[in-house]
Amino acid sequence: MVSPIFIIAGSLGGAFLLGLLRDPWRGASYVISLLVLTFTTWLAGSWLWALSSGAVTPVEILTAGTQPPFAVNLRLGIAEAAMVLLINLTGLLSALYLKDTLFKQGRRAMAVLLIFSMALSGIVMTRDLFNLFVFFELTVISTGGLILLSRDPRALAAGFKYLVASQVVSILMLVGIIFAYHATGSLNLDDMAAASAALLRGGALAFFLVFIAVVAELKVFPANGWALDIYESAHPAFSALVSAAAGSASLVAIDKLLQIGGPAWMDVASIIGIVSFVGANLFALAQRVDRRLLGYSSVAQIGLILFVVGQQDILGERYLFVAGGVLLAHAVGKAGLFWLSGLVAGRDLTAWSALRGNPLLLFAFASFLALLIGLPPFPGFYAKWELVHAIAAHDHLLELALLLFGALVEAGYLYRWFGYAIKREIDHEPIAPSLYKRAVVCVAVLAGWLLAYVWGELSPHDNLLHAVPVLFALAFLALEWLPARVKNALAIAGLLGWFAFSYPAYDPLQLIFALIVLAGGALILLASFHSDGRRLGFYPSAMLMYAGLAMLIVAEDSFNFFAAWESLTIGSYFLILRGRQSEPHALSYLVFSLGGAFLILAGFALAAQGNVQFLLVSLAEVAEPLAPWVFALLAVGFMTKTAAIGLHIWLPGAHAEAETDVSPMVSGILLKAGLFGLFMLLMTMGRQELYGVDLAHVMMWIGALSALLGNLMAAFQEDAKRLLAYSSIGQMGYALFGLAMMNHLGWLMALMFVINHYIYKSMLFLSVGGVAKRTGTRAMYQMGGLITLMPLSFIAVLIGIIAMSGVPPLSGFGGRWIFYNAIMTSEYRLPMILIFVSGPIAFLYLFRLIHSIFLGQLKDEHRRVKEAPFWLVLPQMIYVVCLLVFALAPGLALRRVDAYISNFLPQGALSWEGLTITSEFGYWSPVSIMLIVGVIFVVIFAWLLFVNRRAQKVKQFNIVFAAERPYRPETTHYAWNFYAPYKKALGFLAWPVFERFWAAVTDLLHTLAELLRRIYTGNGQVYAIHLLAFVVVVYLLKEGL
Amino acid sequence: MDLIAMATGFLLILIGLFGALTNRNILRMIVAFAVANTGVNLVLVSVGYMTGRTAPILDSAVPVAEATARVIDPVPQALVLTAIVIGVGVTALMLAYAYRLFKTRGTLDISRYTDLKW
Repeated sequence: MVSPIFIIAGSLGGAFLLGLLRDPWRGASYVISLLVLTFTTWLAGSWLWALSSGAVTPVEILTAGTQPPFAVNLRLGIAEAAMVLLINLTGLLSALYLKDTLFKQGRRAMAVLLIFSMALSGIVMTRDLFNLFVFFELTVISTGGLILLSRDPRALAAGFKYLVASQVVSILMLVGIIFAYHATGSLNLDDMAAASAALLRGGALAFFLVFIAVVAELKVFPANGWALDIYESAHPAFSALVSAAAGSASLVAIDKLLQIGGPAWMDVASIIGIVSFVGANLFALAQRVDRRLLGYSSVAQIGLILFVVGQQDILGERYLFVAGGVLLAHAVGKAGLFWLSGLVAGRDLTAWSALRGNPLLLFAFASFLALLIGLPPFPGFYAKWELVHAIAAHDHLLELALLLFGALVEAGYLYRWFGYAIKREIDHEPIAPSLYKRAVVCVAVLAGWLLAYVWGELSPHDNLLHAVPVLFALAFLALEWLPARVKNALAIAGLLGWFAFSYPAYDPLQLIFALIVLAGGALILLASFHSDGRRLGFYPSAMLMYAGLAMLIVAEDSFNFFAAWESLTIGSYFLILRGRQSEPHALSYLVFSLGGAFLILAGFALAAQGNVQFLLVSLAEVAEPLAPWVFALLAVGFMTKTAAIGLHIWLPGAHAEAETDVSPMVSGILLKAGLFGLFMLLMTMGRQELYGVDLAHVMMWIGALSALLGNLMAAFQEDAKRLLAYSSIGQMGYALFGLAMMNHLGWLMALMFVINHYIYKSMLFLSVGGVAKRTGTRAMYQMGGLITLMPLSFIAVLIGIIAMSGVPPLSGFGGRWIFYNAIMTSEYRLPMILIFVSGPIAFLYLFRLIHSIFLGQLKDEHRRVKEAPFWLVLPQMIYVVCLLVFALAPGLALRRVDAYISNFLPQGALSWEGLTITSEFGYWSPVSIMLIVGVIFVVIFAWLLFVNRRAQKVKQFNIVFAAERPYRPETTHYAWNFYAPYKKALGFLAWPVFERFWAAVTDLLHTLAELLRRIYTGNGQVYAIHLLAFVVVVYLLKEGL
Repeated sequence: MDLIAMATGFLLILIGLFGALTNRNILRMIVAFAVANTGVNLVLVSVGYMTGRTAPILDSAVPVAEATARVIDPVPQALVLTAIVIGVGVTALMLAYAYRLFKTRGTLDISRYTDLKW
């Protein structure tokens, strides 16, 4: 093997060689630079390979033929090799990216670039404190040079501010080094670590100065104004280097110092790290400029890694896995985003909409964001999982909360940006055509996915990139060139095939959910045959959501459950974002969902007590003081998905604004994920009491209020799809109520709601969507009289609302019947009354659907409206059949589940004899009910026909309109504000209290960010004062602790 | 003696930092940092100094055998040399920046260069 010293020597030699060339030989100089960087990259890579395969052991490199501490020595272990590879590879890619700029600037700039990557590699490898200082200073000088590569004139001032700050840092560091040397008699880091006790006693201040100087090199919040200015104004390829390579090198340096400092200083690093993570993420909320936003995000990510570095004592042998996962994900993601920003012409966040013309770059953007946030299957996901488990097991609850809060804020602003890219007008210049720049971005994407695979292999869990459903979803990325209809057929085949394949392994509960997700999903996909073209992005997103759902219901341990949960969240976010007006709604969906997911993560981590592979059934064994908290965290997390009242504000917009075939997917299917989670939770943990309050009772109240308020809000909607969306809140409230009753029939009713809600909500969303497609509006008062023009849609809506309102003879009645039986056995009366009241309110909004859309006067502009497209009608008709069959023979699905629930709650099972179902309070015979209702209907209908046989038909324009044309014509329409009297009486219940609350929370965060970020005045001296103040404050806090 | 040197060194550092943070003129800031760097170098040397010993040069006056008992610690001196070289480099770079800043906007007032902020 070639000695690793050539990583340093090679770059240095290359830089000197460039100095000997003639100025005009630009091409030769460039080739030499690339060759040198390729060589160092190869060397680092070969050492990493050899070290990780165990072929060689970590090497010590001696210089001057003398043992340390009498000469400088370097070390290359597996972590160092990985970092050096990262640094040189980033350097190589940035050099490729900078081709034009380097040609213009000439060989001197290339030499400085080589020195920069050499200095960073030196920081990683050296074991000598003073040598570390020298490499840091080399970094400073080369940074000062490379900032000038930018064409932005403001970069000049940024560079000077940086030099001012680094002068202060180097003064601190030198003074610290000399006294540390004085205290230990050596400059060798290992000697110092051995003499750590003496150093920390006598030379505590000396160690502090060195430590804080290196921390300042990390550009931690808030002593980092100069760094943000560099990120904003430097060439993006150089910002990529600063964020990915320089940040990583400084982190290795701080790690070396902590080997001397020990646990006490690790705590200091942790605190600085977590403050940096939360603070920088908060400030980033107020950013509108892409590169400055990336700068804040870099600061935050490096803060997070600093936090991990500080937690190494509790992470133990998993330290490298966690720190490496977060660090590499950050490095690849951030470098990729900076490189990508060089292709976008405008600097405003909305200018990234230019990426929309290029699906590959858009995919790169999405991958980089997922890398940063730590979504599955990327390394950050595995790393955060273990990190959160470790800190939860050691009861560092405040850190846990801050970590998750910061991550949520970060996801919020990053995905808001993604929303701009997808949804905003493309009114900017197109992306740069440069091929090699794009190639560099693509290499970063590949590296990200490769790391995802490697981390999956290194983790103790199943590799997520081996999971067939995920691979199936990802395969659609490669099939994007196919026509949508072909992809649709493939998707349907995939869902059904996976169902058939997994069928034997399902237990009855899983079977119900699998039927809805997989078979039901395939059924909804029939409607997607209506779309032509290629429908880019639809199938990977939809299939990712289905993959997550399919994996969720079979997950056995908490890791797989959570990975599936996040996958389905992300897939559905992309899916919802496709709607025309859905940008803000998709974001609010994502923020609520990830917030819920983080609560679930915290719950699992607390329950597992450090055991990263935690079986879901073990939730039952969680001990007393912890158990109710785990229960509460998980329950709130799941209720975010079911849109329980208070956490519901994302739902109406997300479901209503989604595309026609997406609304039924996210409403009919996706909501069930939350219910599945609650089933799982209640089956394992049962009843829990927190401070004497029965949590199931609380859930019951939440369910009842959701049912009441959801239904009430639905009744006051003008928009048909919003009405259906609000109605879902109510329906999920019923199901939650049933679950929380914690008795046999309650659970059976919840399952009945799972099935029923899937069928009728999917059907109604499709038929209303079809009507909206034909009429061009979703406002019900603008429709009317469509019964004759769209008879099939009418039938679907009619059957749907009969089923949903719970009147005989359809399956909704079955749900009600079980429900009434269930509440007879329940001991709580007051929430029951609420549930009873919400029943009639459901009638109000359902009646409106049929009345305002299909009955009444046909609007003039709708005279030529045709029936909804075939592919939208077909699944509706299948649903009608399903509803009728399920109404006649509910036992088909429920019988086995009834028996299954008896395993958990044996009391109160139903008896299923023949076609009659019997409970302890009475019996229900679906067939005879159907017959009786049918006979009554036919008799009354015939009688009406008979008495009305002489009635005269009055056409719409058979009357005379008079008087003025009102300013807002809809105000005179009878179907507008249909329930005005009820609204007067009960409208206060539908006030948007929760909307206002959450709006106030986000406003507060934004205002804070807007206000506080003004500490970064732009003045270099102020930045230097920040830095000194930071040093003093940390010292005082450390001494005070 | 070494204490006086060290105290002077720290005094110079403080004077330098104070000057760099209170003077708005970029050239004055650079000079102030140079003063602070000199102070740092003085501190470095004073840490390595041992009363009554001679310079760490091995020649006829100081045979190798007696060196450990008779010369001062050579390491800080080596460090100072390196630090001086680095200091010169950084100062030169800052001066180059000052020149180019002045050329772009015609002023050396650091508080005028605040286009990038927040």
